[in-house]
Amino acid sequence: MTTTLVFDALTKRFGDTAAVEGLTATVHPGRVTGFLGPNGAGKTTTLRMLLGLVRPTSGTATFDGRRYDELSAPVREVGTLLEATGFHPGRSARNHLRILSTAAGLPPGRPDQVLELVGLTPEARRKVGDYSLGMRQRLGLAAALLGDPPVLVLDEPANGLDPQGIRWLRSFLRSLAAEGRTVLVSSHVLPEIEQTADDVLVVAKGRLVRSGTLAELQAEGRGGTTVRTPDGERLAQALADAGLVAHGLGSDELVVQASPAAVGELAARHGIVLHRLAETAGGLEDVFLSLTGQVQA
Amino acid sequence: MTALVRAELLKLRTVKLPLWLLVTALALVLLGVAATVLTAGLEGAPLRRDDPQLMARAVANASGGNVVVLILGIMVLTQEFRFGTATPSFLVTPKRGRVLVAKLIAIALVGAVFAIISAAVAVVAGALLIPFKDGVVNYDEQVLQVLLGAILVMVLYGPIGIAVGALIRNQIAAVVGALAFTFLAEQLLIALLPSWGKWTPGGASSAVLQLGDLATTRGDLLPVWGGALLLVAYAVVLSAIAARLTLRRDLT
Repeated sequence: MTTTLVFDALTKRFGDTAAVEGLTATVHPGRVTGFLGPNGAGKTTTLRMLLGLVRPTSGTATFDGRRYDELSAPVREVGTLLEATGFHPGRSARNHLRILSTAAGLPPGRPDQVLELVGLTPEARRKVGDYSLGMRQRLGLAAALLGDPPVLVLDEPANGLDPQGIRWLRSFLRSLAAEGRTVLVSSHVLPEIEQTADDVLVVAKGRLVRSGTLAELQAEGRGGTTVRTPDGERLAQALADAGLVAHGLGSDELVVQASPAAVGELAARHGIVLHRLAETAGGLEDVFLSLTGQVQA
Repeated sequence: MTALVRAELLKLRTVKLPLWLLVTALALVLLGVAATVLTAGLEGAPLRRDDPQLMARAVANASGGNVVVLILGIMVLTQEFRFGTATPSFLVTPKRGRVLVAKLIAIALVGAVFAIISAAVAVVAGALLIPFKDGVVNYDEQVLQVLLGAILVMVLYGPIGIAVGALIRNQIAAVVGALAFTFLAEQLLIALLPSWGKWTPGGASSAVLQLGDLATTRGDLLPVWGGALLLVAYAVVLSAIAARLTLRRDLT
C-alpha cells in the first residue's frame, strides 16, 4: 500500500500575516522528500495543517484524497514526529508508547518492538524527564513507527542527534523509502537533506519557491557566479535586461546563473563597480540561499 | 471508545500525581469525620452526641475529596497542553471530541475509586470515633443514601474539572481559580444568599449529601434528585461549551 500526499493551495493566515500562502505540491511514495526552508518559513505550520492540528485558512492537505481527520486509523496510516516536547517528564518512554498504542488499538507488543528499532530498549523504563534531547528524538521516532505506517511526516528529525545518530537516521529514512513508504522530512540544515532526499520542496516566507528532484536543484547550483557590488540595484537591472537570472543575497550581493566572465563584462559595459566576482562552488546551498534570500529585480 | 478510555486510565496510572491526590483526599475525609464527631455535643455545635443522625453526618465527609478530584480533572486536561502531550493525543485521535469524552469517562471512573475508598475510610473512622465520644452509631438507611450521594458527588466533580481545565487551559489559573471559587466565592454566596447558593455545585452537593440544616444554606436546599441532576448538568454543559469553544483551537 502506498500513499501520495497532496498540498493544494494550502494557506494559513494568523491575523494579517500569512504563515503559509497558496502552497501546492505533491509528495510521492518510495521517495524521501526534503521540506526545506529557513526557520520561520512556514514548514511547521504546513506540517501541522497536514496533520489536522492547525486549521487551514483555505486550501487542503490530503493523503490519497483524505484529510488527516478523515483517516480511519491515523496511527496505522501516518507516522509523525513533531517537536521533541510532547512527553510527560515523569512517565517512562515505554509507558508513553503504551498509552499511544492502547489508544490506537495496536497489539500490546508494539511499544517494545519500536523501542528496539530505535535502540532505546536499555532506557525504556527510565523517566523521559531524564532523557537527552537525542534520546527524546529517538523516542519520537519510535512513536512515529508504532503503527508501521506507509507515510512518515518528520519535522526536523535530526535536531539534537549526535553525528552517529544523524548517520543512523539517514540510512533509516533511506530504508523506509526503499520499502515504498512516503517520507516527508523538514529541515533547515542542508547537508542532512543533500545526503538523504530524492525530492526537494523549498519554502520561503510561507511560499513554495521551488520543487523538483534533488539532482535538478544541485545542477542549478553549477556554473553560477557570486558578485558583490555597492550598486546592487543597477546591476540587478542590467542583468535582467540582459536576460540573466539573478537572486539577491542581501542588499549588495547577487547570485547569477552565468559565468564570471559574462557578469564582469556586463558590469564593465554599464560602468558598475564590482567588489567581488567569484565562481560559486555549486551545490544545493547556493540554490537554497538564492531561493530563500531576498529576491531582487 | 473503550480503547481511548483505557489509554486515559493508563495515563493516570503512569504518573504519581493521582496517588498523592488520593492521599490528600483521604486526609480530608479523616479531618472532616473527626471535626463532625468531635465537635458534636459542644456548646453551639449543631449536633448532639446522641443525635441519631450522627453517623450519617459523619460519613457525608466521604465526599471531602471532591475538590481534590476537581483538581485532578483540571490537571488531566491542562497537563496535556503544558507538556505538549495534547499533540500526540490528537494525532492518535484527530476527532478531539472523542478524546474529551474518553477523559470524562476515565475521570469519572477514577472519581468512583477515590469515592469508594473514601467511603470505607469515613465509615471506619465514624464507627471508631463516635463510641469514643459516647455517641450513637446508627447504620440506618440514611447512612447508605448519604454514602451513595458522596460517591455521586465524587464521580461528577472530576468531569467538571476536565471541563474547567479545557475552558481555561492555563494550569495555574485553572487550579487557583477553582480553589478560589470553591472555598471563597461559592461559600460566600451560599452563606449570604442561600436561595442562590443552592444552585452552585457546592449547594447541589449539600443537597445530595442530605446535609439539611447543617448545610451553610441553613436548610435551603434542592431535593436530593434535584442536586444530583444539577451536578450532572454542570458537568455536561461545561464540557459541551469546552468542546465547542476551546478544543477546536489550533495547536501550534
